[in-house]
Parts: sequence; structure tokens; C-alpha cells
Amino acid sequence: MSVPLSQMWAVASYVVTQRLAGRTRYPLVLMLEPLFRCNLACAGCGKIQYPAQILRKHLTVEQCLSAVDECGAPIVSIPGGEPLMYPEIGRLVKELVARKKYVYLCTNALLLTAKLEDGVFEPSKYLSFSIHMDGLRDEHDEAVCRDGVYDEAVAAIREALRRGFRVTTNTTLFDGANPLRVREFFDAMMDLGVEGMMVSPGYSYAKAPDQEHFLRRRRAHELFTQILSGPKRRWKFNQSPLFLQFLMGKRDFECTPWGNPTYNMFGWQRPCYLLQEGYAATFQELMETTQWEHYGRKSGNEKCRDCMVHCGYEPTAVNHTFASWRGFRDTVAATVTGRF
Amino acid sequence: MTDPESLEGWVPEIGTRVSLEEVIDRAFDYRGNVTVVRADGSELEGYVFNRNRDVRVPFIQVFDRAGDGPYDILYSDIRAIRFTGKDTAAGGSYAAWLRAKQASKQRPGTTPAPGA
Repeated sequence: MSVPLSQMWAVASYVVTQRLAGRTRYPLVLMLEPLFRCNLACAGCGKIQYPAQILRKHLTVEQCLSAVDECGAPIVSIPGGEPLMYPEIGRLVKELVARKKYVYLCTNALLLTAKLEDGVFEPSKYLSFSIHMDGLRDEHDEAVCRDGVYDEAVAAIREALRRGFRVTTNTTLFDGANPLRVREFFDAMMDLGVEGMMVSPGYSYAKAPDQEHFLRRRRAHELFTQILSGPKRRWKFNQSPLFLQFLMGKRDFECTPWGNPTYNMFGWQRPCYLLQEGYAATFQELMETTQWEHYGRKSGNEKCRDCMVHCGYEPTAVNHTFASWRGFRDTVAATVTGRF
Repeated sequence: MTDPESLEGWVPEIGTRVSLEEVIDRAFDYRGNVTVVRADGSELEGYVFNRNRDVRVPFIQVFDRAGDGPYDILYSDIRAIRFTGKDTAAGGSYAAWLRAKQASKQRPGTTPAPGA
């Protein structure tokens, strides 16, 4: 595993504190969406289809920070939209780092080199660029519906690493992914020198343009078993090994929809990062008035049936680690051996 | 290209074949602007980003066409909703990309334009 020790310690102490306080529902990662605007229109994305006046809007830095303080999660992920199009991304990140939040800035990297050259960011253990990479050149450019994006992203990764930044990748896999090509992709990312990789099956957004290639649960287990069986020692993943075992079908987890709460210009999104069933005005209102029992696989909710996405199941994996000695032991064993 | 299931252009008659609650749910799910007609006859065109029917006084929330708001409108104050704006989730861009990609494969050396 590649998560730095200081970050592991911050998350572990946070989770233990929550559990000792008797809290059963608490957030781990705030998904902060300062804007919906993007410079790509990926086939599997259901996040950016809005009228022009919505795409022009964005949160203020103060709104973002208020949400961060309200939520209290130790990790802040900044997706979007494309966060590098947010006019105040530099100030936002600086403020989050000052608050000792671990920031994952999720970007397609098309603007990253220019931002680095402009000195918008400073290297910090709290800041990681999480580069959207859905595979090797052909697969990635196909996924993002534009040729040349893979090469631009690779160049930006090299530049960020050269300047001393933490760089990870995030990869969404869809039906039809070739396991051998994905393994080659992992090799390529490790050759580049990224700190770690994150993988997840795509979610079948009702608003995504491509509705044909989302993975169903059984097929997802097959695919991830083919990809992750006999993992190479050099592969580093920036996520819980128990979540990877879940993807392979070795563990049966239930969703933790409040684990990665989402805040954007509409408010606190119910119930999770993927579904949009309404918005709460405050984090407290989100936690107290959302009918959580209506979500997750056991609820029978059709929209949750095939979902295996990290934003719902990675918090479960993390909680499982700290829920028992066995969970802790399994996590340590997978981390040390690199086997899932 | 408009998705065949898109509600773009829909002008539902509330109370005959479809209830107010159903039309509001559709408007909330719609990724385009709608025109909300209030009981006093005034109209607000914009994006319905929220609706809450699980409270004592159900309401919707709207950002208008200029992006101003949010404006809260009570269910009881809504006479009609027309689906007047373009459905941004209708899927045309992806279909166009696939067509362009296919065409480029048939013409070696060419690639689809960015955002095609």
C-alpha cells in the first residue's frame, strides 16, 4: 500500500475517536465539488450535464471551507467538474492544507502543467493530485472521448513528480475492460513513479451518455479477480486492500452512503456522491433527515443493486479495519504482503 | 440529436393524466431548464435542483436562467411546469463522438476533433 504513514495515522485516530465517542455514522472523505464545469465530456460521466447558468456558477472559497469545517472529515476530495477550472483552486487548496486536511485534487490533468508553471500550488504531504486515467492510451482516450488526453496527462504527471508533488491515479473500469491491458496500465503508472493507484467500477449514472458499458456485480467480481489475482509487488494502491478484496468478490460489504458526503452549489447531496435524490441545507440536516435505510444493497433499492463504487464501499472497508482485531489483522496482512 | 425519452418540450396537464407531485419529480430529474407557472400566473424559468416533499410544507428550489437564486417555491403555489429548456443529458455529444471516431477509423490518419 502507498498511503503515507502520517495520513494513515490521521485517518486511524479519527476513526478510533469517532468509535470511542459512540458515533455509528461519520464521514471519512468530503467530496467537495466547487463547480460542475469541465473541459472534457467523458462517456461514463453523469456529473456535468447541466444548463449553462449552472455550469457558469461555482462555490466561493468561503462556502467550501465552511462545508469542510461543518463536515469534519480528515480527507477532502475535490472532484467536479474539472477543479483546475475553478478560478480560486490555489487559494482553496492552500486553506485546506493549512487546516491539515489531506486533499485529493481529482483532475484530468489537461491544465495541470500550466498551473504548476504558474506556481498555483506548493508541494505538501497534505496535497495529492489524483489524475484521472482510465487505462493505457487507446482506452483512456476512448473513455474521455478525445484523442491525445493520455499523453497530456502523462506529461503532467511527470512534471508534477519532478516538482515534488504527491501524484496518484484514479481509474474507473467499465464492462469490456481487458484485464491484461489493465495490468499493463498498472505497470505503466508504476514506471511513471506515481505514489499509488485507485480503481473502481463505474456507476451507471442515469444521466451518463454511455449506458451500455456499466458493470453488473458478478461481471465486476470476475473482472477484478482477473486483474488483481497475483498482483505484482511493485503495484501500489492508494486505497484499502479490503476494498480491493470486495471488488474481487472475496468480501461481502454493505454500502456506507454517508462515508463520502458530497457538497456542491446545490447543498449537501442526498444520499451519496452518485445518487441525487435531493439536497440538505446543512451537514447535520443531511445526516439526521436522510432515510439511510432506503439505500445500500440490502435495502433492495434498484439504484444500489449493482453499485460497487469506492465512495460507498471504501468507507465500509476502512470501518471494518477498525471494527475488530480480525479486520485490522486482515488489513495489515494484505498491506504487508501486497496480496489480496 | 434528442434522446427519444427526453422530456424536452413536454407540457404536462397537471391533474388529468399526471399529478403535480409526479411532474415535480420529473422536473427535478430533468437536466434542463423548466418554466414554473405560479398560482398567481407569474412564471420563473430556471433549473429545479431540489425538491423536498418529506416536510410539512413541500417545496422546490430553483436557480433562474441568470443563475440567481435559489428561489423556493411551495408545491401549493405551483400551477404548471413546462419543460422548456434543452435537455443537456440527451446524449447527443457521445453519439457524435462515436460517429466521428468510427469515421476516423475508416480514414486512417484522421482523428475526431476535440469535443466532437
